[in-house]
Amino acid sequence: MTVEEKLAILTDSAKYDVSCSSSGSTRTQDFGGIGSTHASGICHAFSADGRCISLLKILFTNHCIYDCVYCVNRISNDRQRAAFSPKEVADLTVNFYKRNYIEGLFLSSGIIGSEDHTMELILKSLKILRYEHGFNGYVHVKLIPGASEYLIRAVTALADRVSSNIELPSQKSLALLAPDKTKEKLFQPLHIVKNDALTQGKKVMGMSTQMIIGASPESDYEILKLSDTFYNKSLLKRVYFSAYIPTTTHKHLPALNTPPPLLREHRLYQADWLMRFYGFAFDEIASEKNPFLDERFDPKLAWALRSLHHFPVEINRADRETLLRVPGLGVRSVNKILRARRQKLLLARDLDTMKISLKRARYFITAGGSPIDQTELRYERLESKMLALEMPKPGTQPSLFDIIQSTTGEL
Amino acid sequence: MIWTYDGSFEGFLTSLHRSYIYKYIPEKLTMDSAGLTLLDEREIIETDFETAAKVSKSINERFPKKILERIFHVFLCDDMPFELDLLLYLRMGFKDLSLIHDLSHPVVYAVEGYQKRLLTTIHKMYAFTRFEMLDDGMLYAKIAPPRNVLPLIGKHFVKRLKSEHFIIHDIKRGLICVWDGQNLQLHPILEASEPTLHEDEKHFQKLWKTFFDTVAIESRKNYKVQRNFVPLLYRELMSEFKS
Ligand code: SF4
Repeated sequence: MTVEEKLAILTDSAKYDVSCSSSGSTRTQDFGGIGSTHASGICHAFSADGRCISLLKILFTNHCIYDCVYCVNRISNDRQRAAFSPKEVADLTVNFYKRNYIEGLFLSSGIIGSEDHTMELILKSLKILRYEHGFNGYVHVKLIPGASEYLIRAVTALADRVSSNIELPSQKSLALLAPDKTKEKLFQPLHIVKNDALTQGKKVMGMSTQMIIGASPESDYEILKLSDTFYNKSLLKRVYFSAYIPTTTHKHLPALNTPPPLLREHRLYQADWLMRFYGFAFDEIASEKNPFLDERFDPKLAWALRSLHHFPVEINRADRETLLRVPGLGVRSVNKILRARRQKLLLARDLDTMKISLKRARYFITAGGSPIDQTELRYERLESKMLALEMPKPGTQPSLFDIIQSTTGEL
Repeated sequence: MIWTYDGSFEGFLTSLHRSYIYKYIPEKLTMDSAGLTLLDEREIIETDFETAAKVSKSINERFPKKILERIFHVFLCDDMPFELDLLLYLRMGFKDLSLIHDLSHPVVYAVEGYQKRLLTTIHKMYAFTRFEMLDDGMLYAKIAPPRNVLPLIGKHFVKRLKSEHFIIHDIKRGLICVWDGQNLQLHPILEASEPTLHEDEKHFQKLWKTFFDTVAIESRKNYKVQRNFVPLLYRELMSEFKS
């Protein structure tokens, strides 16, 4: 099989993994040759589905000894299989990097032979890359749950970031859909890496995980609560959500023609963003009583509509946190306001000069004491106005543009 | 009155100086006389290097580093009529430095807007510049950015490719940026013959194209978004968009 054929197969098998951000490396070791130690999170290309291409995201192999029912690589699936050699992985990475196609490598794998055997092959690829090519660019490895500790440590030492997918939001769903996996086994690599860093007094490397959304019945509330636990325990820096795309028929899975819940995934990313950067608590966004996010509105707007007693907010006086909670004001707009109001009292027309969109915000703020819109702050009044703004054009899918915005930017 | 100048930074500084001498703000300051009609009153500002040097010195003394950088960035926006705004901006700054921090002033907003667009272009070029390997191992990239960012992007690629040799060629402006492993230099270049590619080059371009085409998820195809991120004007020089 040629490298090109392998690349096609092993890219195809890896592409459903959504975590591709390459930013935030803290590695200080220099391998001497090509590549910048400081990954800056550049998207080098955007594929036809509008997603950022920043890393050479491939599987080492799509052979697998396991049978997780939601996975295309499961052993019982009749599928063409391929495996790279460690040298092929290293050569591809360096040559793509030199041509400025990528920031680095994202290597994941099915399990070939055994966990340890797979991990050894990954380790060998990294050694060639770092020591023979002196490659300094970014490397992210998905650790193999169940591999020996010394292998996990050796791979982690050569990578910029490691992660391990927890796949499903609950133990129960795991037992049903991935019988070979337990929560303990899936968390093992993450715990090893974290504890090592702590005992050595080092900063814990930012780790991430991915959860499949819509393959199992958990609510948004449960999912956000789980993410919140990860962030609080500083076990993870980032949780990625991946709308389940049916590729198989199974009694415990949604039917084959079920569309992937893209809008739900989008709203979860927005909610996650609010938790990580806007100071929201998970139970402000969803609750046991309202376990699913209102898909009609972004979660910040949904929160504001439930919390009208917090509004209106005076833009000349409100602090940063309060301004960030105004629907339609993102970080950039808030920074502009904070900067400009040091010079003078801001009126509505000043917001206009600074091109701050008031489409949503107008109902929730005052400028210099006077309201910008006369609409009464009541749910019944605002709901229809907001729906008119949010309403997707009939027949269109939720815009992926929004989805990407929510993973990179602002609300 | 419309003022025309020769498009050089010195010419611009001379114009700024002239506006103080004449106590006059032109309606427009431009290097491009093409759009002017016979009816337009116009004056040609002859570049005066001595005056320019003096103005340059007082600008350097007057403004903090961040603003100097901004002035330079705006000046590289050769696709936009930035001149009059920049002239007014500098005059505001000379009058009272705090004036140029007021983002709700239209001139300040415009000037920061030019800079922002330049910075966006820089990031686009960090991302979309595509090198090809030549027969001698040198990396070579053609670019045609909408504004003149070549003087600013070389350093970034040195950090990434410090052990390599490379040339980035702005084919729109006839400028090249060369890294020979030790020095980074900018040169004008009139003509360049098509270089010979390394024998592996087509192979890697094909692999990249394979990766690029395979990685997109069928059920999520969205060409509109793709076009928002990679505007058509950049695609001509990106191998993955060639069919
Ligand atoms: S172990 Fe991983 S690759 Fe193998 S079937 Fe399960 S999810 Fe798929």
